[in-house]
Amino acid sequence: MASIIDIKEECALHVRDFEFTYKGSSAPSLKKVTMPIARHSITALIGPSGCGKTTLLRSFNRMHDLYPGNSYGGEIEFEGRNILTPKEDLIQLRTKIGMIFQKPTAFPMSIFDNVAYGMRLQGIKNKTELNDRVEKALKDAAIWKEVSDRLKHDANGLSGGQQQRLCIARAIAVEPEVLLFDEPTSALDPISTQGIEKLVIELKERVSIIIVTHNMQQAARVSDYTGFMYLGELIELGQTEELFVTPKEKLTQEYITGKFG
Amino acid sequence: MTAVQKRIVINKIALTLSTLSALIALAFLFWILGVLVMKGISALNWNIFIFEGAPPGYAESGLKHALVGQAILIGMATAIGVPLGILAGTYLSEYGKNSKLAHTIRDISDIMMSAPSIVIGAFVYAVVVIPMGHFSAWAGAIALGIIMIPVILRTTDDMLQLVPGELREAAFALGAPKYKVILSVVYRGAKAGILTGVLLGIARVGGETAPLLFTSFNDNFFTTDLNAAMPSLTVTIFNYATSPYEDWQQLGWAAAFILSMFILGLNILGRVILFAGKKGK
Amino acid sequence: MIDKIFFNFTRLSALLILVIVAWIFVVLFNHSLEAMNTFGLDFITRDEWAPNLDKFGAYAAILGSIISTTLAMLLAVPIAVGVAIFLSEIAHDKIKGFFGVSVELLAAIPSVIYGMWGLFYFVPIIRDIFGGLGIGLLAAGIVLAIMILPFMAAVTRDAMNTTPDILKESAYALGGTQWDVIKDIIIPYAKAGIIGSLILALGRAIGETMAVTFVMGNVHHVPGSILDPTTSIPVTLANEFTEADSSLYFSSLFGLALTLLIMSFVVIAVAKFYFLRKARRAS
Repeated sequence: MASIIDIKEECALHVRDFEFTYKGSSAPSLKKVTMPIARHSITALIGPSGCGKTTLLRSFNRMHDLYPGNSYGGEIEFEGRNILTPKEDLIQLRTKIGMIFQKPTAFPMSIFDNVAYGMRLQGIKNKTELNDRVEKALKDAAIWKEVSDRLKHDANGLSGGQQQRLCIARAIAVEPEVLLFDEPTSALDPISTQGIEKLVIELKERVSIIIVTHNMQQAARVSDYTGFMYLGELIELGQTEELFVTPKEKLTQEYITGKFG
Repeated sequence: MTAVQKRIVINKIALTLSTLSALIALAFLFWILGVLVMKGISALNWNIFIFEGAPPGYAESGLKHALVGQAILIGMATAIGVPLGILAGTYLSEYGKNSKLAHTIRDISDIMMSAPSIVIGAFVYAVVVIPMGHFSAWAGAIALGIIMIPVILRTTDDMLQLVPGELREAAFALGAPKYKVILSVVYRGAKAGILTGVLLGIARVGGETAPLLFTSFNDNFFTTDLNAAMPSLTVTIFNYATSPYEDWQQLGWAAAFILSMFILGLNILGRVILFAGKKGK
Repeated sequence: MIDKIFFNFTRLSALLILVIVAWIFVVLFNHSLEAMNTFGLDFITRDEWAPNLDKFGAYAAILGSIISTTLAMLLAVPIAVGVAIFLSEIAHDKIKGFFGVSVELLAAIPSVIYGMWGLFYFVPIIRDIFGGLGIGLLAAGIVLAIMILPFMAAVTRDAMNTTPDILKESAYALGGTQWDVIKDIIIPYAKAGIIGSLILALGRAIGETMAVTFVMGNVHHVPGSILDPTTSIPVTLANEFTEADSSLYFSSLFGLALTLLIMSFVVIAVAKFYFLRKARRAS
């Protein structure tokens, strides 16, 4: 039986009996996952590869819908409704729940246009408003100083760490409620990684964050809550400190002490 | 209408247009394929394989001359193009590698692959037909062989490069000389790929008409004389289809059908071999 | 010893391709010298092509080549890009596989068959709609467009498919629609590859002989409209090479062949060495 902490604070998302099955697969990849996500805090998802942590993360913004044939079960509650219903407006949902990927994904356009992209999609055309919000987003993503004099340059000229911060700026520019991070530092060097981690912690003042990481130290450094997943199930969700120091489940203990994975 | 709604509408319109263009393209292509199959099958009969060409109006006329001529031309072109293409591809992959010369050869052969085939015909006319004084199967085969070389060269180069370096090293470690490593290890590893390249090369030249128009020319009668003009399916299609005689046009459709099936068959076979080769690994 | 012989065999075969290409240029050049010396620049600027008077001006043929390929490109490019978008982004997996392979196989069908179909099935339609003969620039442009379409769509799709999934997903994650992702991400990302593919198809279209020879007519006049029969370089070569009866006539045909080779060589080289190389470097 899983050991799931009861979160007292307000929740941004609530996963209940969630199941996910990939196209053509007979067994679900995620089984009966129930998990509260605390608001304005950082929840990390850890577990060996193939445990389903990225699959769960990509369910929050219905990314799986890009590939037909996948199916959801159970519910994920966000802003008082179940977002897994067919009538859910995915465009709206994705502007509320942003995502950062394993690798920097600078679009083939200028730095400015990258950050402005999401806002333009929402129909913001006013130059001053765009300028202001792009500047603010870049400042919030701690990259303004490095790029303020070359906003019109191609974003692909930036370093990997800079590009990843640019992607964060792009995601926060549309003022989402939740940000999903899918192993955001796996392609970065240690110094860039440090910068991103610092940024993630600062961001939780304004957004709720879920971060998938293959790096247990990273989970321990940045998160408030940690969920340990194994073979498609959430084994344990607890406050990060407790989970790493006094895990309630035997599997969790074996994993964090390096017995497998 | 909000900006988002507008985007959704534009999205629907754009995707519908793309789908529509795909349907239009498909409709045209299946129209052509449909005509080819209907006309071709209705014109097929045993006489086609038994009789050679005859003047219009003769019941006993067929395509034997063109089928045999086509086979001879393709066979000779293969005999010219395949060894040269494979050897040249071997040089690029095993010796030249990233040298400037190797890259130049790759670039030039890439261009050759898309160069107008009728120009190759003109070239062969100048260097073979004029000195010989007449059209010949040799000239046609040389023209097709020249067109084939770059196709075989590039696939051989690509396929040999896919053979893992450890395999070569393992053979070298046993003391084998380089040519033996290539012949017995590298070629064996790339067997399926090279075979596919050869089949696609044959399919490519099998459908060529333009380079044959003034090299092997055409003949309405059966011949195996390599020093004389040689009939081919493609030129026969051209001559019969542009003739005013209905029975010749019928034969033209039959020839077109047989030729297309042959070429599609080679293409499909090539894919199957490559797919099976990949799966086997 | 054997090692050395084998090496030299492979190297000679590889060098042979360079020799052949150079040889083609030299032979075509030498054989067209007589026409060049006789006519000079008039060869490409005058449209009087009169074998009985030994006067050869290739203007009409060159213009016919340019107009017919331009027409074919205008018709084929939008549809090919639409097909490529359909194949890479819209179609479900099964349709994608089936349709994708069909397109590739259709690209392998000999062009003589497209020409034959055009003559028997498309020319009558044009005749019914517009009157006149039916054969001419319009018929040639359309048949050429249909013939080049599968190849063009297949290579354009391949170029679009180089866009990393993660980049597309990032745009979806910001609330983009499929079309937003296509126009803002895929097309800009794969721009060099797409343009290169289209130009490569253009290079093939210029040199295409059989698809147009059936439906172009062979009249050495600058056409008054796209419904008029005219000629193009490959059409002239296909129709007249075996009929040439004077050395100046032959030389003029070789001059046409050389012109065609240079035109297609330049176009293909631009596609390969500028756009497609840039695309490969980017990905």
